[in-house]
Amino acid sequence: MCRDTYFRQGRQVTALVEMSTDAEHSPPAEESMPSHRALDFFFTPEDAPAAGGDNPLAQPTTQVPEIIQALCDRFGKAILGVEEYAGEQTVLVEAQHIADVCRFLKDEQRFLYLSDVGGADRFVEEDRFEVFYNLVSFEKGKRIRLKVRVDESTLIVPTVTGVYRAANWNEREVYDMLGIRFEEHPDMRRMFMPEDFEYYPQRKEFPQLGIPGSLPLPPRTPEGPLQYDPFPTAHEGPTPKSYQEPPSQITEEE
Amino acid sequence: MSTESAFRTSGAESVFRFWPRHNEAIYERLESKHVWLEQALRAEARGGDPLEHEMILNIGPQHPATHGVLRCVVKMDGETIEKSVLDIGYLHRGIEKLAEHKTYQEFMPYTDRMDYLAPYANNVAWCLAVEKLVGINVPERAQWLRMIMCELARISSHLLWLGVGLMDAGAVSVFLWTFKGREDLYRIFDEVAGARFTVSHSRIGGLVADLTPEAFRLIHQFVDDFGQEIAGWEALLNRNRIWIDRNRDVGTLTREEAVEIGLTGANLRASGEPYDIRRFEPYLFYGEVDFDVPTREEGDSLARYFVRLEEMKEGLRIIRQCLDRLPDGPIRADDAKQAYPSKDEVYYSMEGMIHDFLYTDVGVAPPKGAACYQAIESPKGELGWYLQSDGTGNPWRAKVNAPSFTNLQGLEHMMEGSLVADAVILIGSIDPVMGEADK
Repeated sequence: MCRDTYFRQGRQVTALVEMSTDAEHSPPAEESMPSHRALDFFFTPEDAPAAGGDNPLAQPTTQVPEIIQALCDRFGKAILGVEEYAGEQTVLVEAQHIADVCRFLKDEQRFLYLSDVGGADRFVEEDRFEVFYNLVSFEKGKRIRLKVRVDESTLIVPTVTGVYRAANWNEREVYDMLGIRFEEHPDMRRMFMPEDFEYYPQRKEFPQLGIPGSLPLPPRTPEGPLQYDPFPTAHEGPTPKSYQEPPSQITEEE
Repeated sequence: MSTESAFRTSGAESVFRFWPRHNEAIYERLESKHVWLEQALRAEARGGDPLEHEMILNIGPQHPATHGVLRCVVKMDGETIEKSVLDIGYLHRGIEKLAEHKTYQEFMPYTDRMDYLAPYANNVAWCLAVEKLVGINVPERAQWLRMIMCELARISSHLLWLGVGLMDAGAVSVFLWTFKGREDLYRIFDEVAGARFTVSHSRIGGLVADLTPEAFRLIHQFVDDFGQEIAGWEALLNRNRIWIDRNRDVGTLTREEAVEIGLTGANLRASGEPYDIRRFEPYLFYGEVDFDVPTREEGDSLARYFVRLEEMKEGLRIIRQCLDRLPDGPIRADDAKQAYPSKDEVYYSMEGMIHDFLYTDVGVAPPKGAACYQAIESPKGELGWYLQSDGTGNPWRAKVNAPSFTNLQGLEHMMEGSLVADAVILIGSIDPVMGEADK
């Protein structure tokens, strides 16, 4: 099953694909019968990403050839490649060298401001997780994106908090959402989810609806036990009242 | 359904009944955080803490001064905050996860619920990011209208900040006056979008509908009247002794510090760094209008107040220019693969209906491997979306760079060393919105 079909409306499209493969392997149909060859179904056209500067929203700030050149001169093989889309250049860096690269960019190329750090799950690809860094240089008026990739088996990236203090919370967020640990980070706690939660919700295998019972919920009454069922009214009846209602003053005659 | 015993017991259950490991980690962090040398020496000279000056205080998550559900765990020495640890996530809805399960257009209304004080700016940020990813040309009129509405959203957000900030400082009447201004804005949003609060008016490739003559009348009226309102507030506040004493030298950050801890928006500009996405990477037509980026050098809460007040005035200037230069023309891209067809086409032609259906079902599908980052200057600061596509109609990864999240990190640093009474002013002056910070 090709990957695109997995993501949208999988069943129907898969059926079509299976039909077409069956048709290829089965012996040719009798001539009197019309051959029902299923249509080739491409859910979306498979274009290569357009490199173009023709993007209406492309900005000159994200074109940084001279900085990439300086990085290549300095770090050589630690720079794995450059990607470009919509006029934005992304530099792929070997994970162990990310702190050095950031230090170089900050000290010698004047990228003083760290705008964003985030992670992504590439799921079925090699080197499953990636972390990207969005750096800004006010003086040069440039923005550069660095990217590192780590495999599921290692899941450790050196922290850049030593270079940019601003990366602290962002790296915690990546850890919280994807489970990538940052080496020598001063405060590797979860950012949004409580420590009692044992999953990494941004990973692709985590279900969108969550895992019932994965987190204790507040008690339904002040003295009551903690809840583990997110839908107690459906399973155990209405919510008990946490207070005693005063007896009604209205008599039947009124 | 798992039970209580399924969770690792850490011994902290006797102290913290609810989420014991989480609370334990926060208090451990608070203890293990650096101590300033002078403070440590002072405490030592006193022979530890015989008078029990020190205490740990939880501010929030349910506290009106925290502007939502922010929890600050602070260690105090007398009235001074020695260390602070912020705990956020009480409003975490996993909006990035939700985006992965929606089409691009389907997700747009969710952005209203992020920075709910300026929903229009969020809509535009999302739509621009998707338009960059797909490469959609948006008609000029739509872009000018988006600018008008973004600036109105900025004023609306700053109005709430001003009113609530003053209420934190003890002045309730300004809160009522700014909410009168917000009411005028809500009337405009209601006329424009049909909703006062969660507008969802911007569409990928343009807008859902043009503005009515009545909406233009309201906007003109607002622009004409609002300058006087600001002048009135300035007359009251700019030389108001209580307001200035409460704000001056509170949470002062130098330019270097502000850049280092990554503040954004008005907070960064109040420290002297003129970083504004409208200038740095002009989107829409911000490159063509005439406006100033107000900055201050002091970097304290008072400077942040002045910067935001100036920004409101600049907003009015931008809206006036937009109204003057507004061209006629379509308000949505005329390509049914990129934007919704107009309702006329949908109702009266078969192709229009098919396209409408397809756009709702699948929507735009950027090429596989496409990835881009598009930021706007939202009222709170740099609001950016980093999108990755896998070639389908759903984003493979949508990462929001939320300005409130970025600024709250700076708050933790600013609170340390300030008075606990100033913590309330500080939270107000960096203007966080928890819906956005918690994602």
